[in-house]
Amino acid sequence: MTLTAPAVKQPPAPLKGRGGRPGHQGAARRREALTGYLFTAPTVIGFLVFVLGPLIAALYLSLTKYNILTAPKFVGLDNYARMFRDERLATTYGNTVLYVAAAVVLINGFALLFAVLINQRLPRALTYVFRSAYFFPYLVALVYVSIIWQALFQKDTGILNYYLTAMGGERIDWLNSSEFSKVSVIIVDTWRNVGFAMLIFVAALQEVPKDMVEAARMDGANEWQVFRRIVLPMISQATFFNITITIIGAFQIYESIIVLTRGGPGDASRSVVMYIAEVAFNKFDMGYASAIAVTLFLIIMLVTIVQFRLRKSWVNNE
Amino acid sequence: MSVALLVIGAVGMIAPFLWMFTTSLRDASHAYDLPPQWLPTEWDWSNYAGAVSGPVPILRNMLNSAVIAIAVSVGMIITAPMAGYAFAKLQFPGRNSIFVGLLSSLMVPAQVTIIPLFLLMRTFGLLDNPLSLILPGITGALGVFLLRQFFLGLPQEIIDAARMDGATAWQTYRLIALPLAKNAVSTLGVITFLGSWNAYFAPSIFLNSTDTATLPLGLVLMLGPYGAGNVAQVMAATTIAIAPALIVFLVAQRWIIASLTQSAVKG
Repeated sequence: MTLTAPAVKQPPAPLKGRGGRPGHQGAARRREALTGYLFTAPTVIGFLVFVLGPLIAALYLSLTKYNILTAPKFVGLDNYARMFRDERLATTYGNTVLYVAAAVVLINGFALLFAVLINQRLPRALTYVFRSAYFFPYLVALVYVSIIWQALFQKDTGILNYYLTAMGGERIDWLNSSEFSKVSVIIVDTWRNVGFAMLIFVAALQEVPKDMVEAARMDGANEWQVFRRIVLPMISQATFFNITITIIGAFQIYESIIVLTRGGPGDASRSVVMYIAEVAFNKFDMGYASAIAVTLFLIIMLVTIVQFRLRKSWVNNE
Repeated sequence: MSVALLVIGAVGMIAPFLWMFTTSLRDASHAYDLPPQWLPTEWDWSNYAGAVSGPVPILRNMLNSAVIAIAVSVGMIITAPMAGYAFAKLQFPGRNSIFVGLLSSLMVPAQVTIIPLFLLMRTFGLLDNPLSLILPGITGALGVFLLRQFFLGLPQEIIDAARMDGATAWQTYRLIALPLAKNAVSTLGVITFLGSWNAYFAPSIFLNSTDTATLPLGLVLMLGPYGAGNVAQVMAATTIAIAPALIVFLVAQRWIIASLTQSAVKG
């Protein structure tokens, strides 16, 4: 209520848009502006202190050598040059790009498949059950689902290998081999995120006009043609949104790997965010860690801007 | 055929949770028995007792998580609707540029601000303190965006009528606009709560003792390196940890789904 103090003093002028009497209009407008600033103040302050300020500080730190104990020392672009010689960075960025590629293809592929299946004429209760089942993992912390999965992935005691050997396969060292550690991370990432992407696709599919699809069928188009020529273009906005979200999410992949493989064996499954955290908070090489983090920021900014631009030109907005 | 595919997918989604629950009810020595049991054969709750009385103070961690998540969501449902309303319904110089600036923060990943934030918290002595997670959490661009969308859809006549009747700007907001936004605000509250409850990255960096740790940190500690912890107890603790998500899911699934999908499809 204290927020209203400036506004309570006098009865508010009749605020009929911009058409009131000139004398009152100025005062009313000033009061409205003041209210606007007061209402947005907490959010703006939070933004300045916890986002913009730290972002600028990170850009500055990326140009310094800083170990917390002594003051940051300006070193120009040294940290950026150092990245090109850092083999561990190459490995962890390589892994991360693999996770991103897998996420884009697998999450969106499965999500679209399940969305199309769910969007068929199924009994309402069944649709509800399926939608719920696919969506639930998305609400659970990635740490918790990873804890469950690391037990399922155990080489000797895990049930995945039990069923694998029961079907005549070989035991797989899911968490400790350099190939399968990455596969495990990808499985958990796909499994957890498919439901959210699916919901986005389902919502988009429901907006596709049924008569358009019917008309195409009447004209002799087969199911694939209907999907490819009508449905897919109509849901392009959702597809674009999903791809952007999966790219951004996978570039930041972190805690599932900590629980599943701790980045190992060696750096085989380590993501770039794990590497940043290690450089910053184990080695206290804050300047270099900031520089790596800035590259991640630039990538994510680029993806977001590209999506924003392309969304206008490519996407069928109907 | 297509239903069969959907059933396989759904089973794959639920099976890990079922295994978790069943394992949490089995004696630790049978936890890894193969072939796996999918339905509880015994109802032995001792693992739950064991989980909460073990070396990692899980209940304490849960309380920490709850305090932070509640503080963050309460803060968010106060700050975000006010800002969203101002950006949608009030005229003030710089309104649009401020809004675009705020929105651009959605492009800033937590990893790039974490180092300066760590230094900031360290300077103010807030490391290992829940405030290090609460203060940055009580405002945020996403909530402002969601609520602005809602208020944009609110007919201007309702606002004007209230003002004509002599309501102040605050009264118009608090008594007219905000009650109409009840659903949007509840959704924001639930999403914010779950986001905080599930968070791992920032807590893992700002908190470094078992007493201040949040539940996800506690569970990772309990699991131990290479999953060496007592699996039945770990699964009991995980079952407890998942409960809030399950409750939210059962109660609020419908409107969470609606609000999450809206922005993407209607754009």
